[in-house]
Amino acid sequence: MNESNDPISRNFEDLNQDGIDRRGFLKCMAWAGTGLVWTISGGVPVSRALGKRANDHETSRSGDLSFVQISDSHMGFNKAANPDVAATLQAAVDRINALPERPDFLLHTGDISHLSRPEQFDTVDQILKSAGPKDVFFVPGEHDMLEDNGKTYLDRYGKATKGAGWYSFDSRGVHFIGLVNVMNLKAGGLGSLGQEQLEWIEEDVKNLRSSTPIIVFAHIPLWNVYPEWGWGTDDSGQALGYLKRFGSVTVLNGHIHQTMQKVEGSVTFHTAMSTAFPQPQPGKADSPGPMKVPGEQLKTMLGITDVNYVQRRHSLAVVDSTLG
Amino acid sequence: MVARNKWTLGLRTLVMISTLLIPTLNSKAQEQAQKSPAEVKIDNFSFGPKTLTVSVGTEVTWINRDDIPHNIVSTDGVFESKVRDTNETFSYKFVNPGTYPYYCSLHPKMTGKIVVH
Repeated sequence: MNESNDPISRNFEDLNQDGIDRRGFLKCMAWAGTGLVWTISGGVPVSRALGKRANDHETSRSGDLSFVQISDSHMGFNKAANPDVAATLQAAVDRINALPERPDFLLHTGDISHLSRPEQFDTVDQILKSAGPKDVFFVPGEHDMLEDNGKTYLDRYGKATKGAGWYSFDSRGVHFIGLVNVMNLKAGGLGSLGQEQLEWIEEDVKNLRSSTPIIVFAHIPLWNVYPEWGWGTDDSGQALGYLKRFGSVTVLNGHIHQTMQKVEGSVTFHTAMSTAFPQPQPGKADSPGPMKVPGEQLKTMLGITDVNYVQRRHSLAVVDSTLG
Repeated sequence: MVARNKWTLGLRTLVMISTLLIPTLNSKAQEQAQKSPAEVKIDNFSFGPKTLTVSVGTEVTWINRDDIPHNIVSTDGVFESKVRDTNETFSYKFVNPGTYPYYCSLHPKMTGKIVVH
């Protein structure tokens, strides 16, 4: 299609006038996780310090979408890296309830439980009940599908989903796609979506206008963060290929227990912190296992991700904030 | 039928003689195989040793020393453990010679193999 006729492209030009350039953006990337507000649109991001209110026209909530991503709560984990993951999940919920604007809903990007046990899912559900937003959309992590092809997870969270738990929904003009990339993994490989799910994605977006903002969420990163540790998805390229024509695509993942961002054309990739325990930076340890940090430091490495979509400007603000 | 029976008998004798000879002939290889512990440690998201050589009839035990659960899944569908949390074990007895590649289906970058002589 002719990009110049796309209303979003014109909007990007407006953003260019008050946004920062790509070089400035790369500089911001180095500060990721320290509390920057991101306003990202088609690779033209605007940033501001966390806590500082943006201009009124940016924060107007009428018709705008706001949601919070939480991830990797690992309920049932009780090792040295965090002996009380229920308390830190509660702290994350308290943080959500303290946001100046109540989010529309929560997205949980998997590893809800540590061992797929019903009582672990129960505890998470119980804690999330105290969250302001009552709607929670889940996708499974590998820890949620440990036995019986994920039956425990699917019985609980998968009622309105397809295949191993994938689905889509629309909210305030934004199309959300929840994907499962933790099933049927092959020896030596990475995360995998599989042919059936790929065909479903192609079909799911077929009739959407290219100006529809897309948010994809899945557990394992859909970009190659660090394949040596399995931090990537083998067939994500094919999935993203179906989304090429869209002006704004945001991909939200978990799994790696730390924030990381990348912008590639009109696609913005973002990973969230865990609410349970941190993991090392790629290649900075012998393995991606739980990282033990001094007690007082733990809450500065756990957190939530607040996402705001401002309709009139077709832009997304992605804010990571830590629990302490 | 008689001729065939004779042939079978001859073959059996040959097999018996070979069986008697094999321990002497292969004693060095067997010693090496038995020296290796029939245990695979899971540590730092890897199987150690990555390749373990054992003799037929050996029971191999995997033990998970990580803070994260893993499983042990034969690539060819020969064996599959339940998910093993910290310090939990899985054992499998290898009754046929061959090479048995396996991996952790939760973290498929973790691979190993058991070679059975």
